[in-house]
Amino acid sequence: MKPAMNSDSVVKLKKQRNWKRWTIHLFPIPALLIYGVFVVYPLFAALTYSFFDWKGIVRGEFVGLKNFKDLFTLEPFSGLFWNAFGHNILYFVLQMIFQNGLAFILAYIIYKKVKGSEFLKIAYFLPRLLSVIVVGFLWKLILNPNYGALNVILEKLGLEQLQKAWLGDPDTALISIILVNCWYGIGFGVLIFLAGLQSIPKELFEAGKLDGADGLPMIRKIILPLMVPSFMIMTVLTFIQSFEAFELVYAMQGSQGEPYHSTDTLAIYFYRLAFGGSAGGSTTAVGLGSALAVVLFIFISFFTALYLRYMQKKQVDM
Amino acid sequence: MKKMKAFMFVGFLAFILVLSACSSQSGGNSGDSEGEVTLTIGSWRTEDKGSYQKVIDKFNEENPDINVEFKPSKNTEYNTILNTALQSGEGPDIIHLRPYTPGIELADAGYLEPLDGLEGLDQYPEETLSASKGSDDKQYGVPLNISTTQMFYNKKIFDDLGLEEPQTWDELKMLSEKIKDEGITPISLGTKEGWLLSLSHGIIGPAHYGGNEFVDKITAGETDFTSDEFQSSIDAMDEIKQFFPKNYKGLGMEDIRTMFFTGDAAMFPLGSWEIEVLREMNPELELGFFPMPSAVGKEPTITTWVDGSYAINANSEHKEAAKKFLQFMTTEEFGTMFTEEFKMISAIPGIESEDELVNALGKAVEEQSTPYMMLVHFAGGNPSTKATIETELQGMYLGERTPEEVANAVQESAKSWYEPLQ
Amino acid sequence: MNHTIWTRPFYYVFAFLIASISIYPILLMILSSFKTSAEIFTSPLALPKTFNLDTYRNLLEIIPFTTYFMNSVFVSVVSVLLILITSSLAAFYIARFTYVWNNVIFFFFLMGMMLPIKLGIVPLFILMKDLNLLNSLWSLIFMYVATGIPLSILILTGFFRTMPRELEEAARIDGAGNLRILWNVVLPLMRPALGTVMIIQFIQSWNDFFFPLIFITDDLKKTIPVGMLSLFGEYSADWGALFAGLTLASLPMIVLFFIASKQFMEGLTQGAIK
Repeated sequence: MKPAMNSDSVVKLKKQRNWKRWTIHLFPIPALLIYGVFVVYPLFAALTYSFFDWKGIVRGEFVGLKNFKDLFTLEPFSGLFWNAFGHNILYFVLQMIFQNGLAFILAYIIYKKVKGSEFLKIAYFLPRLLSVIVVGFLWKLILNPNYGALNVILEKLGLEQLQKAWLGDPDTALISIILVNCWYGIGFGVLIFLAGLQSIPKELFEAGKLDGADGLPMIRKIILPLMVPSFMIMTVLTFIQSFEAFELVYAMQGSQGEPYHSTDTLAIYFYRLAFGGSAGGSTTAVGLGSALAVVLFIFISFFTALYLRYMQKKQVDM
Repeated sequence: MKKMKAFMFVGFLAFILVLSACSSQSGGNSGDSEGEVTLTIGSWRTEDKGSYQKVIDKFNEENPDINVEFKPSKNTEYNTILNTALQSGEGPDIIHLRPYTPGIELADAGYLEPLDGLEGLDQYPEETLSASKGSDDKQYGVPLNISTTQMFYNKKIFDDLGLEEPQTWDELKMLSEKIKDEGITPISLGTKEGWLLSLSHGIIGPAHYGGNEFVDKITAGETDFTSDEFQSSIDAMDEIKQFFPKNYKGLGMEDIRTMFFTGDAAMFPLGSWEIEVLREMNPELELGFFPMPSAVGKEPTITTWVDGSYAINANSEHKEAAKKFLQFMTTEEFGTMFTEEFKMISAIPGIESEDELVNALGKAVEEQSTPYMMLVHFAGGNPSTKATIETELQGMYLGERTPEEVANAVQESAKSWYEPLQ
Repeated sequence: MNHTIWTRPFYYVFAFLIASISIYPILLMILSSFKTSAEIFTSPLALPKTFNLDTYRNLLEIIPFTTYFMNSVFVSVVSVLLILITSSLAAFYIARFTYVWNNVIFFFFLMGMMLPIKLGIVPLFILMKDLNLLNSLWSLIFMYVATGIPLSILILTGFFRTMPRELEEAARIDGAGNLRILWNVVLPLMRPALGTVMIIQFIQSWNDFFFPLIFITDDLKKTIPVGMLSLFGEYSADWGALFAGLTLASLPMIVLFFIASKQFMEGLTQGAIK
């Protein structure tokens, strides 16, 4: 795909004065500096917590890998871990389908310039403008079993049998939250896919049309391969976000994973261990919480690295 | 053109920087003049801001050189905010302490200043002081208020149906049947929020395990949570679900409160702090309460505990001034003001309230109180035993757990950390 | 073509159905804010009987809304500017040069998204204390820039890579330096991606409530979400006031978006390579 630099320009480049070539290495410095000081340093300072014994919020002695061992072998911790892990996987799958899948279709429709596409763009993006606490609060009110809009609408449509205690029933609580997350995030997906579609050179479309490709074949042969960067961005982001899912769950169900651990995600579980439950009354286990964060980090970074590697190869192959 | 753009951009940036420099200067230290100190109070009671200002004004009448600022943060995030600040050697001078285990944990960690010799501490009974007594047996907090939980009821509904306050558990069940037959929800309780479940067990449980006698035995290690007494308290929680509202699995605090003050439900098992809220929401509501009648032939009970204490940050620069403020909080003057302004029961003994209902509750506390056992004695462990009973009860209402499994899980949790049970 | 005639109506119905799902809850929130609690309980879906502004008047009386608003504007604008500058510089470096360590740097930036930043809150608090930034809006700005950089670099690097190199090389042959190439050649072509980053980061810094909750204790330094958060606790039973609070917290962002959206959307289409 990428055109190789022609030899002329390479010669020119080499002739450039040394300092000019050297300055390029300054480019990533400001970002590295701010990011290093305010994200990397505090996180890694905190990761060491996982090797210590904690009494409440006071650090005790060095215990090596004991916290990690407890996390996976001691009940109820290990059961809760795998329970939450399963929920994160569900989060990822449902978001890929209902958020990214839909977002791509919608972006394509907008790209095709249907009437009102300006309106559509804005409409899809509107939820993304709200704060997550507002989103959580708003949907909590809508999903309220007795006074909420959703059950009232179902009743008006004569679908009483579908009425549910959406957030109180373990069968529907997590799925409701994930779908709200999709509602919230779909506009961002549309935006990324649209930006991807718009950076495809128009000539390629023309060429495709001449070859007789249109509609689905056009999507498959021309659009999808050129949209690899957008897909990569969305997949990596969705993966990371689903496994870090916290804010919306917290805003809707608090930090206890209620009801009956059915909305526990790894990040919620982490928060509960590291900071105690909401509204006092709960005790903290900073060591276990930090160990959980480390495990989560290793898991996410391993799969992200693997995926990026794979995508890079694929791009080179093309 | 391009240069122009870049120039404007840099100019804009500079403007913003200047703006911020100005704004950050104005907010610096409020410049205490000589001899004056400024104390900050941290708390989770955002709703009491106005009332605390009145308390502070009163305090300033005698201590004009101590400025006090009440700075509450949201209930659910208060612990995170406070713990972070304390661990970094910061935090407010005066700390609103969560009762029992979480507060005592802070004292044991050395973040609080012991209140040795603070005048007025000796007036409180031992149980009240125990909410903020460190493991080293020193007192770290001045108890603020007593909270109670009991059954509230709608007097109008009771009158209309010709019902009277029940004297036994069976009477309570019978009158609930009657209310249900009339198409009114008997008991307004939802199971979506776990804390409501340990709270309501705190009300209903003593009627079955037999109140203080059982508490004394279990804290001495003479019985445990798999005993028949405790088991029957869990069975009772299971039994009464027939009187809960429709969709109770999805109802939280706000929902059940709304059902009660709108008259959709007749009874409401909750705490004294709700009185003010209920009245504000529906001034016409005829609110009554009754102590929980016993199922095992004992006295009816009101469940009580100390809901908060005030402590001093060990890192505070103004400990002496802070002590003065805490001392003020032990005075009768403060206690009277507190009951009037906050409509809560002061932890100071003998303070009467002008509010009939609050007063009646205060009286009942002196005669029929039993501790909120899960909070007072079993809030330790990880996850805490209190959190365990919340989750397990929730599981029971969702059909995932039998009452026997609930009791067993509570026993397992308590055994893992509570010495008398080991 | 045949199937276009068939699929168009389907497109429409589908696209507008989703759009209405996107908008309806927000509309419901705004409408409910004019109702009384009783009205919300009895007829949650109906239009408000009267447009009652009392709740708003009450809310604005208790909270210093203009102060919160100015704080939010300042924090968000400065954060976004710094994010755009630092991230495009770094992304340009990562995407356009093929030094061996580029992948490592890229991944290093991504790592920041893989840990819950809340984990590091105690070291961060101490850091802010040492830098004398506690209770200062700059503590928020630094946090939003630092936490915004990973996502921005991910997006920008992705798009920088898709851009044809020919234009750049022409400029290089003309003797332009790297900074000039980035500013004059690359960035103008990257407007859709920059626009995306800008709006996402603006929203992110505007709506965050965790950092102000921890770092800011002075009431007059609070931003809108955290200022509003305390209302939720106080009015937990008054649904009318709650909806008004939610609307008030969201409105500035929605209005800003409508003002900027024309610019923004135009930028999106113009930036596309023709």
